[in-house]
Amino acid sequence: MSRLLEIDDLRVTFRTRYGEVTALDSVSLHVDAGETLGIVGESGCGKSITALSVMGLIPQPPGRIAGGAIRLQGEDIVGASPARLQALRGAEVAMIFQEPMTSLNPVFTIGSQIAEAIMLHQNVGADQAFKDAIALLDRVGIPSPDRRAHDYPHQLSGGMRQRVMIAMAVSCRPKVLIADEPTTALDVTVQAQIFDLLNEIQRDFGAAIVLITHDMGAISEMADRVAVMYAGRVIEEASADDVLDFPQHPYARGLIDCIPALGRPDHRLAEIPGVVPPLHLLGAGCAFAQRCAHRNDRCDREKPSLVNHGRHPVACHGAEESRL
Amino acid sequence: MDFIYIIKRLFYGVLLMLGVVVLNFLLIRLAPGDPAVVIAGEMGGATEAMLESIREEYGLNKPVLTQLGIYVANVARFDLGQSFFFNQPVTTLIGHRIGPTILLVLTAQILAIVLGVVMGVVSARKPNGVTSAIVSVFATIGYAVPVFWTGIMLIILFASVLPVFPVEGMTSVRLRDAGLLVRTLDVLHHLVLPAFTLAIIYLAQYSRLSRASMLEVLGSDYIRTARAKGASERSVLFKHALRNAALPILTVAGLQFGNLISGALLVETVFNWPGMGRLAFDSILRRDYPTTMGVLFFASFMVVIANILTDLSYKLADPRLRGR
Repeated sequence: MSRLLEIDDLRVTFRTRYGEVTALDSVSLHVDAGETLGIVGESGCGKSITALSVMGLIPQPPGRIAGGAIRLQGEDIVGASPARLQALRGAEVAMIFQEPMTSLNPVFTIGSQIAEAIMLHQNVGADQAFKDAIALLDRVGIPSPDRRAHDYPHQLSGGMRQRVMIAMAVSCRPKVLIADEPTTALDVTVQAQIFDLLNEIQRDFGAAIVLITHDMGAISEMADRVAVMYAGRVIEEASADDVLDFPQHPYARGLIDCIPALGRPDHRLAEIPGVVPPLHLLGAGCAFAQRCAHRNDRCDREKPSLVNHGRHPVACHGAEESRL
Repeated sequence: MDFIYIIKRLFYGVLLMLGVVVLNFLLIRLAPGDPAVVIAGEMGGATEAMLESIREEYGLNKPVLTQLGIYVANVARFDLGQSFFFNQPVTTLIGHRIGPTILLVLTAQILAIVLGVVMGVVSARKPNGVTSAIVSVFATIGYAVPVFWTGIMLIILFASVLPVFPVEGMTSVRLRDAGLLVRTLDVLHHLVLPAFTLAIIYLAQYSRLSRASMLEVLGSDYIRTARAKGASERSVLFKHALRNAALPILTVAGLQFGNLISGALLVETVFNWPGMGRLAFDSILRRDYPTTMGVLFFASFMVVIANILTDLSYKLADPRLRGR
């Protein structure tokens, strides 16, 4: 059976002043219709690069898709023509970005920006597209949408702008909706509203959602399945409940220990010591080894691959040897 | 557009012009010797009766503040005095020449902006490409070379080597009785070299500026959004990016207007273009002070008008600057 979206052994490299570094290393992921896949990890782990690869928006150069495939409904879009990618972007795969404050063009009205997306992919005139845009603004919960459609982005709050981005992204009923940290820049009450809206949209439109975040709370609320990424690799993948309740990888455990628990004011929050190593300094071994309390010699020598050692797939020698 | 804003802006313009008039007045007082003799200029045989009539006309026998009042009142009636060299009212003299100057300056400005922006956009698309390098070299040379030298080189080129454009004057004597269309084309034909000469410095500036501005805008989040919705590369460049990149170009274009007018002085002299620049040049050589100051007044007037127009167009181009 062919998946809706399947990323297969994807390798993306970037030319930097340290030479060519590998930003994504044999990443394999998939998502089916109506499903929400969460991708979690710290900044720089490759979450956003994965999303941009699917959109065909990796800046090339300096970026380069060095290997692997991205199949959308069976069609490999790695190496597809620019025209084909343009036709897919916005229509079949759409994306919501992290920064609602700067992701809308300041010199066009929000109505016209949504209408543009509609006209690019659907055979409708400008008037109809604008009407559709107003209906979408209504759908994402913008009050008095027919008046607001004539507003410019600077006249809207951050939460409102993210709603506009969502309206734009779903305007052509895409099959896959990628949300790259959609709530990071918003305050907490607005975050919950945006997640509710995404859930509703998914129910109505039947889209698959790829939710990229470093917020485990968002994962437990939204995701069906979770992939944990670290330094350009997927290191653990399972259902959301499984990862949250029985994390296998020491890094995933660390992430979950970082979630503050309510009603325990004396509880000191855990932290993961150190930072993600710069990609050009990655050695032959496990990228997490430097920060791991359970490492041994093998971890420094050999990269673990994503294998199911019982519960669900995890890339860790320690899990394999059951010494965690 | 905000009506009150326009009124306010015009009011500031009037204040500014008042300042120019006062400075003008002070300049004539600063010139050494009897102002009456200065105004009479190098007439040689300025008789005592003539000097007396000048003193009477300018009220030079009255206190300085009264003199200033009389001068301002005269200027307010567009009475800038009598040119002793041309033996005509200065207002009449300028009235005949302001048209050709405006034609030259506006043509050069439009030429510089349009060509400069196109060159900038083209080189921003591939900032490390060959086109970009050629544009950069051209811009450096264009900016470094003095206007009069460019003019003289063009005259040499088109007078002897490649005689396709007239190198002198604004009209052909033999076409004086031709139809309106022929005469218009004749003027445009004469306009080519002076306008290009005047434009070349600013062309270089605008191409550098729009390249830098485009590069900055192309890196912004809303450009990624435009690509993500499936906009074509041309639409991304000319619609989404250029509208934003145009804002700094507009500001500089407004600021450059004054320089353009002083540049016109040189170009008009080199190409014997019958505009205000020639008049200024002639009047300075002849020490015809009323005319010199009349030119100064009208040049400032044009700059003030240009700045008001720039401010208004800036508001038109950037919705963030408009009042709610």
